[in-house]
Amino acid sequence: MAEPTPGQRRGRLAPYALLSPGMLWLVLFFLVPLASLLRMSLSTKRSRFDFDPSFSWDWSNYGDVFTTWGSQLGRSFLFAGAATLLCLAIGYPLAYWIAFHGGRWRNLLIGLVVVPFFTSFLLRTISWTVVLADNGTVVRALRGAGLTDVLRWLRLTDGDRVLDTPLAVIGGLTYNFLPFMVLPIYVSLEKIDARLVDAAGDLYAGGAAAFARVVLPLSLPGVFAGSLLTFIPASGDFVNAYFLGGTRSRMIGNVVQDRFLVQLDYPGAAAISLVLMAIITAAVLLYAKLLGTEELA
Amino acid sequence: MPTLLAACGGGEAASSPAARAEGDGAANALVVDSWPIYIDDDPEEGTVARFRAASGIDLTWNEDINDNNEYFAKIQPLLSQGKAISADIITPTYWMVPRLVQLDWLEPLPLDAIPNRVNLLPSLKNPSWDPSGEYSLPWQTGITGIAYNRAVTGRALGSMADLFDPALKGKVGVLTEMRDTVGLLMLADGEDPANPTFERAAGAFERLQEAKESGQIRRFTGNDYIDDLVAGNFGACIAWSGDIAQLALDNPDIGFVVPEEGGMRFADCMVVPKGAANVANAARFMDFVYNPDNAARITAAVQYLSPVDGVADALRRLGGEAAALAESTVLFPDAATTSRLRTFGPLSEEEEARFDEAFSAIAGA
Repeated sequence: MAEPTPGQRRGRLAPYALLSPGMLWLVLFFLVPLASLLRMSLSTKRSRFDFDPSFSWDWSNYGDVFTTWGSQLGRSFLFAGAATLLCLAIGYPLAYWIAFHGGRWRNLLIGLVVVPFFTSFLLRTISWTVVLADNGTVVRALRGAGLTDVLRWLRLTDGDRVLDTPLAVIGGLTYNFLPFMVLPIYVSLEKIDARLVDAAGDLYAGGAAAFARVVLPLSLPGVFAGSLLTFIPASGDFVNAYFLGGTRSRMIGNVVQDRFLVQLDYPGAAAISLVLMAIITAAVLLYAKLLGTEELA
Repeated sequence: MPTLLAACGGGEAASSPAARAEGDGAANALVVDSWPIYIDDDPEEGTVARFRAASGIDLTWNEDINDNNEYFAKIQPLLSQGKAISADIITPTYWMVPRLVQLDWLEPLPLDAIPNRVNLLPSLKNPSWDPSGEYSLPWQTGITGIAYNRAVTGRALGSMADLFDPALKGKVGVLTEMRDTVGLLMLADGEDPANPTFERAAGAFERLQEAKESGQIRRFTGNDYIDDLVAGNFGACIAWSGDIAQLALDNPDIGFVVPEEGGMRFADCMVVPKGAANVANAARFMDFVYNPDNAARITAAVQYLSPVDGVADALRRLGGEAAALAESTVLFPDAATTSRLRTFGPLSEEEEARFDEAFSAIAGA
């Protein structure tokens, strides 16, 4: 076989050269920490204040994740799942309306979706404690409408309060992650050529049929991206459960925080984080398969 | 992980003894890490400003301790590697002191350079957390008891049993500070938290677990219990005396009581972390705040119990609102109240781990 000319060689190497800054970044800030996390999760502390636990294939840290913290883990996915569905239910119609009926106000309207998020995440979450306070107008209105009984029956609230209950946590997650759902869906809807919808009409599709067979399938990549951007950070979130949740609505993120910062149990915290990561990865792969996004994207 | 964190921390220069001896231009500096709103902060008349003027030392007052455990996790990467942190004085809660001594993370105090230490209240001399008294001087002390909002409870509360009143279900807060919450529950159980063992605390943990599962306890809180109490989300909660003394000034519905069964006494202590760059300046500051007149100004602002003898008289000398504080039974509890107060006793490393694990399983789950 003929030797490649220097020009050909350069051509072959160029893509790698271009990739190298990104690869280096990934190796330094993703692979190395991940390896260190994995190593920590299999380490044992020799004493309570052993800050450099030694590696020892200690799988017991993983056993504890399910035996001790199973309920918080399950709750995290339940809350994150509920928040993702709510974000979808609120976000899709919103994005749809802005994309197809926003007209010249579209950019302004999308801007308005994002504006509240210029304020600190923490402050916005803490503000909900004021809105949902026991003597606040929201809770009084719910009480007046008899809705607190329904919510309690659904096990979403406790007593006749909303703050420090699962409902408040799911609500907080929904509120905080809504733009991450709206923006990708909007982008995928906005790209749809309006003539496709017209064409569907020419082929005798009614409004609902045109939506189900043209618009919805074309917007699925946006739904997929939006769900991931909502579900993944929501499952690991601890701020909402910390401020808006009570003693019986804590999530796995709160456990990691407690293990890491209070108990100084670095191996335990590492194991929980990795299990969380593994479950999320598996869920995402399954979701991608179900939605068949590879063909759509 | 700790190695990674430590690598980001810096602080190398401060730990070198040579740099400390020569002072390299930082000789007139002093850095204190303390809790939020724990000093009178008036830019001209406040303690920080007056100390700067009196000593010529450039004092930096950081309010960056929000939780003992979190602060410990923050300083751990450097101190565990024998490197100095930026602060010359830190003010953890008393129970942290023996831990820091045992880890060899503290410098002994240069007591000879702190003549005013003689003003330390006799009851705080040679405390259980620092029997030789050579590592720590209390910054402020306080009482952990019950705070209530009369607008919710409709009555004043008096005992720990009131926290478990079914009428207050879902309206009760307890502290994430393990020794405060468990200590009060031990007292309610007739056990003495000054001599704690895990067996003696078993009843307290059981009661806590039940109260959490039944929904009696609404939240485990840090200092943020204040918001819940004022908003009426809590009818009652375990609370720190100074906070409530300040709150009650604006809100007559809010009250504080040392439970009939007894209350907890705590102290936040000034200690010098190992390798601190400005030990001599730290001593000057401690001497300054152990002068009763200076201590009284801090008391007037923070409303906690001063560890310094003679503060009541100094407050009277200040006159005005400060003089009224000299008569406060919260700031200067009478002998009968004092006799009902206990300080959580020292725990061995293993015992502490058992307590913390059991507490975390309830509070963190």
